[in-house]
Amino acid sequence: MIQRTRWSDYQPSRRRLVQLVLGLLVAIGALAATQSPANAQDSDVAIRIQVKDQQRNAAGQADNQPLPGVTVSVETADGAEIGSAVTDEQGVALIPVPGKDNYVVKIDTDSLPDGKGLADGAPAEQAVAADSFITATRTVNFFTGASQSSKQSQVDRIAQRIADGVRLGLIIAMCSVGLSLIFGTTGLTNFAHGELVTFGALVAYALNNAGLHIIIAAPLAVIAGGCLGWGSDRFVFAKLRKRNVGLISQMVITIGLAIVLKNMFLFYFGGRDKPFLNYTNQVGKQIGPIVITPRDLVVTILSALVLLVVAMTLQYSRLGKATRAVSDNVDLASATGIDSSRVIRMIWIAGAALAALGGIFRGLDEQVAWDMGTSLLFLMFAGITLGGLGSAYGALVGGFCVGLFVETATLFGVPTELKTAPALLILILILLVRPQGILGRAQRVG
Amino acid sequence: MDIEAIIRNTFSQFVGRNACYYAIAAIGLNIQFGYTGLLNFGQAAFMAAGAYGLAMTVSVMGISMWWGILFGIGYALILGVIMGVPTLRLRADYLAIVTIAVAEIVRLFVRSVWAKEAFGGTDGLRDFASAFQNVGDSLGIERAKVYGWWAFQFSGRDLWVLMVGWTLVAIFGVFVWLLMKSPWGRVLKAIREDEDAVRSLGKNVYSYKMQALLMGGVIGCFSGMIFALGNASVQPDNYSRDLTFFVLTGLVLGGVAKVSGSIVGPMLFWAIYAFIESILRQVTEDGPVRIGDYTLIDSTKVGQVVFMLMGLMLVLLMTFRPQGLFGNRRELAFDGR
Repeated sequence: MIQRTRWSDYQPSRRRLVQLVLGLLVAIGALAATQSPANAQDSDVAIRIQVKDQQRNAAGQADNQPLPGVTVSVETADGAEIGSAVTDEQGVALIPVPGKDNYVVKIDTDSLPDGKGLADGAPAEQAVAADSFITATRTVNFFTGASQSSKQSQVDRIAQRIADGVRLGLIIAMCSVGLSLIFGTTGLTNFAHGELVTFGALVAYALNNAGLHIIIAAPLAVIAGGCLGWGSDRFVFAKLRKRNVGLISQMVITIGLAIVLKNMFLFYFGGRDKPFLNYTNQVGKQIGPIVITPRDLVVTILSALVLLVVAMTLQYSRLGKATRAVSDNVDLASATGIDSSRVIRMIWIAGAALAALGGIFRGLDEQVAWDMGTSLLFLMFAGITLGGLGSAYGALVGGFCVGLFVETATLFGVPTELKTAPALLILILILLVRPQGILGRAQRVG
Repeated sequence: MDIEAIIRNTFSQFVGRNACYYAIAAIGLNIQFGYTGLLNFGQAAFMAAGAYGLAMTVSVMGISMWWGILFGIGYALILGVIMGVPTLRLRADYLAIVTIAVAEIVRLFVRSVWAKEAFGGTDGLRDFASAFQNVGDSLGIERAKVYGWWAFQFSGRDLWVLMVGWTLVAIFGVFVWLLMKSPWGRVLKAIREDEDAVRSLGKNVYSYKMQALLMGGVIGCFSGMIFALGNASVQPDNYSRDLTFFVLTGLVLGGVAKVSGSIVGPMLFWAIYAFIESILRQVTEDGPVRIGDYTLIDSTKVGQVVFMLMGLMLVLLMTFRPQGLFGNRRELAFDGR
């Protein structure tokens, strides 16, 4: 189907300008109302170094003991020393650094107590990447004595990466359902979809800081995300479709919206990553070969359940069937009596709500950041391309695969900071080999 | 409020370094986006290719900087092939997705600790521009001396960069203008209007698209070189996806599919940026602006507010005046599907 749009087909009216501006103002207002009170508190950046001696108790379980009196130091990536310190009774030393940058943390092996050495194979220095400062304080661990990690077998490592990959994959799948379905029904590639993800997490963070428990804040934030999706369609994209604005122009408009939203997030939230107030500092539990915190386990299970509900809804409910029909062929669906603009509106609401939920889960999993959605966007694109652009189930399958692949890539020697790069490889390979994706239909392409 | 200072900043940015390298990047992007209808959202990667191509010669390889021009062009061609081969046979959106992804990966790659030896990590590279400055010296431009008057005052160092930069803008501008009048250019425009029709006339659409992508990319890499020479350093985080988006905003402001638009648009973009920024800086100079207890804006948040407004400008332009200032509405008939 070729839709040719001529700009001369419409006359801009002042009313529409007012509506567009109003739509944006509503979005701005919604965010302003939820501005967090905590964003003024900016603490100094520091590196927290923990030295632990690996010991086992009588039952043979890990029972690490702090090692005081060890000299540790921090250098810039160029080798200029920033500071050094000696660990305290808790085996901890805090060294302030000028900012979130790349550093090298060194441990002075001569200062270790007699009979102690670094855990076998462990290097005496560790690189700290600027990216890895999740909060203002970056923790670096040194282990002495008999190494625990060396006892972790290759099988355990693989199982651990897979567990992390499943969690990321489910979150990406959840975030990208809306992106794929919006594309399927309207043809629009929404470059502001990552901002819908961030929006959910930020609203939840703001409500959380206003005193609500995250269990209450999260559903409210998901509703807020749905409202933003509704607003985006009602006040922006439905209007643009009505005016026959071309898809490429709409795509550029989503870029503009992404710029606006992203800077708005930075404005209200600040540039620093922050955790939710609840369920932080959990201790990992050993389940079979993997170590997982209860929080991450719940996030994984909840994500899987939500995606199951999404899949069931798409498969069996009236709306789900209508969605798939519209996404297959808008004209044909309309001809059979489906109100396609209502379906599109519902997709915007549901897609944005799911993206918001994905953002909250991601925020629990990692931390909340103003650009967290933007950095997920590319993985979402890889996912929906792999699954088949516009295909409802493709987003679920593709997003899951990409998340899994990215997390397990480090097993094959990919540096952690570059672990998203293999997703690009998937993207390019799938376009070369099977551009319609796993579940897409060939005639959609080209 | 010092209105004269605001106007001075505005005019200074109108012809300044930022406007200059944005204009070169926009001329390149215009070949792809404006004339051929290719959605290249990774122009920043091409710019990084040029910048790193230049910087790596002296700092890493230990050869003369001038070889860097060839390296930069080479890297840009490689990037263009990586972006183009999988996507140019497919619908327009795929190129958009892949270019944005390639640009992001290029940035992550050059800033990584893993490849620090080659690209200098987050610190980037420096100390490579002296060969370029020496040419300026030999022409009698003193680096530290201030030339010009009123808003148009530049140090000799900047002046030399600006002279070379704006000369490149003129050369590429005339080149693209002539090119688009040629039969080759007419094929590009025809591809934008109706790909199938061009194919049915026996033209190899894929090959033409690839040529357009590569040509725009190579021009983009020259923009990166001017950027690098202007700063006398390269930093990976300058080449984020926002860079591409703001070049695009400048292009849309001037008018796509017009050479004049691709040059004046970025100049206006930076003039508007400087205008709003100077006002907000002066407003917040004596402390944050408050309404009651609520802090409306303080000096640390000026940048975010300006970029928010620039994004809003892109939205409104694309909605109400998609042809920009100089464009022709009939030249915007492309569509993604």
